Amino acid sequence: MLQETKVVTELAGTEGLRRLEVYEAHGGYGALRKALTGMKPQEVIDEVKRSGLRGKGGAGFPAGLKWSFVPRDHPGPKYLAANADEGEPGTFKDRWIIEENPHLLIEGSIIASYAAGIDHAYVYTRGEFFTARRVLLGAIKEAYARGYLGENILGSGYALEMTVHSGAGSYECGEETALLTSLEGGRGHPKLKPPFPATHGAWGRPTVINNVETLATVPSIINRGADWYRSFGTEKSPGVKMVSISGHVEKPGNYEIPLGTPVRMILDDLGGGVWKGRELKAFAPGGSSTPLLLPGNLDTPYDYESIAEAGSMLGSGGIIVFDETTDMVRVAEILTRFYAWESCGKCTPCREGTRWMLQIYERILNGGGRMEDLDLLLDICEGIDSKSFCPFGDAALGIVRSTIQHFRAEYENYIRKHKVYKRKFMPVRHH
Amino acid sequence: MRVRVELHPALKQWIEERFARYPSERSLVVPALLEAQKYYSYVSPEVEIGLAELLGMPPQEVHSVASFYSMLHQHPVGRHIIQVCHNVSCYLRGAEDVIAHLEEVLGIKVGETTEDGRFTLVTVECLAACGQAPVMMVDEKLVEQVTPERAEAALAEFD
Repeated sequence: MLQETKVVTELAGTEGLRRLEVYEAHGGYGALRKALTGMKPQEVIDEVKRSGLRGKGGAGFPAGLKWSFVPRDHPGPKYLAANADEGEPGTFKDRWIIEENPHLLIEGSIIASYAAGIDHAYVYTRGEFFTARRVLLGAIKEAYARGYLGENILGSGYALEMTVHSGAGSYECGEETALLTSLEGGRGHPKLKPPFPATHGAWGRPTVINNVETLATVPSIINRGADWYRSFGTEKSPGVKMVSISGHVEKPGNYEIPLGTPVRMILDDLGGGVWKGRELKAFAPGGSSTPLLLPGNLDTPYDYESIAEAGSMLGSGGIIVFDETTDMVRVAEILTRFYAWESCGKCTPCREGTRWMLQIYERILNGGGRMEDLDLLLDICEGIDSKSFCPFGDAALGIVRSTIQHFRAEYENYIRKHKVYKRKFMPVRHH
Repeated sequence: MRVRVELHPALKQWIEERFARYPSERSLVVPALLEAQKYYSYVSPEVEIGLAELLGMPPQEVHSVASFYSMLHQHPVGRHIIQVCHNVSCYLRGAEDVIAHLEEVLGIKVGETTEDGRFTLVTVECLAACGQAPVMMVDEKLVEQVTPERAEAALAEFD
């Protein structure tokens, strides 16, 4: 029976954990003390690099390497943007971390900032995260009062400001360069790379952007060392990952596992298996943007390389489970609607392509689909693939392609019989 | 003709207190627009003009930003906003029935406001609470594991 390996979630459930003194009583801010009073910034970077910590927001980029790209002798301010714009459907770990253990994010952010020579850390939260924002603001206030933020932190001479910033409803702003545009006061449009944020980020200054879970992993690595972190996971995907299990399982929720754990064990031992004693039809392994996998993939080890080999992506760690009764055409329509509405509109393939696909899905579910619509959908996917400005466009394709590939008969059933979905689709305008 | 708009003093203070946290004043436009809705219920052209003046940007640009974000309302809305998640993980656990029930008891469709101005019902994308799906929000309050009955009951405390 698989047990969780609790690193980020270690203290979860501790009474009063949101309060600084409770966090401290459980060893909190010990890693910050160790880093700031005993390690040079480069040593922090080296330790995190050696740990193999990879970005946990979706892209999986090595965190230490990212920090090392920030020019050390650059004049003027440098910034950290903690990405708390968690919006990938099926993912709910970052909001949970903030509400459960806000000081862990703060401590990790200060250590990362110290390592990369950051002057000001912004936590970009989703507009909808009212509670998380309140909790975080309270914790930051405590951290300032205790001398963990502000001037001369722990007598080290290092100074850091921290500010909570709010979005106002936009999936695209979770993309790192769109997040920066939004932080600067614009529509959430992505920026061309290169130049990369490490040298030209927020307000044109060197900027590090890290996901909440990534930052929340840093204190443990500093406390216990890179070798300890590497003792979990696989050679190429070292360490642990939070998984958010949702959909048709008995025990949906957040769990933390060593990378490389077989999907079957995650779903059965932690998620409690498919609900109502039903059979599994498919699952999205890493959020709504990742192509669906099938029951035949259940023994795949849950790590970046193995999931990629199986034809999908580990993404954000959001595992969405579909039981045998699921209407996969409706699922594909829901997610296509999501991408169509949330497309930022900057580039044509994504803006027009996602809307066109949505129109096709609406006519299929309204009983007016045509057999050639399936090829048309795949053709539109081809027109978006690798041709959109940012990764959003490609993100919209996984569900369309994988449902047509694996569940073509369900599409054909709608089309042949002019089957109408139980609720007629009226075009609902975005408010 | 130049129109001048005096923003609500508490809103103005909220914004000005935060100027020092950013290298540029316009960086506050998104949070400021969200905060403004506490005082004005929606982002009217007057609000945009007032913010533009304070943040040193053209009103057209404030409007451009305001029209991008789904939480910023371009038209008057009810006193309380009901946001029901209609994304995949909530759909899989019954969000459609919740939405249909709320439409029925409120006598409105998604996107509309009740005649008494009490509620606006909208659907929302994933609220990052899929472990407790289906979920909805009433104003700033997250309601988890909603059934049609629980959704209706959750409205009682909002008048």
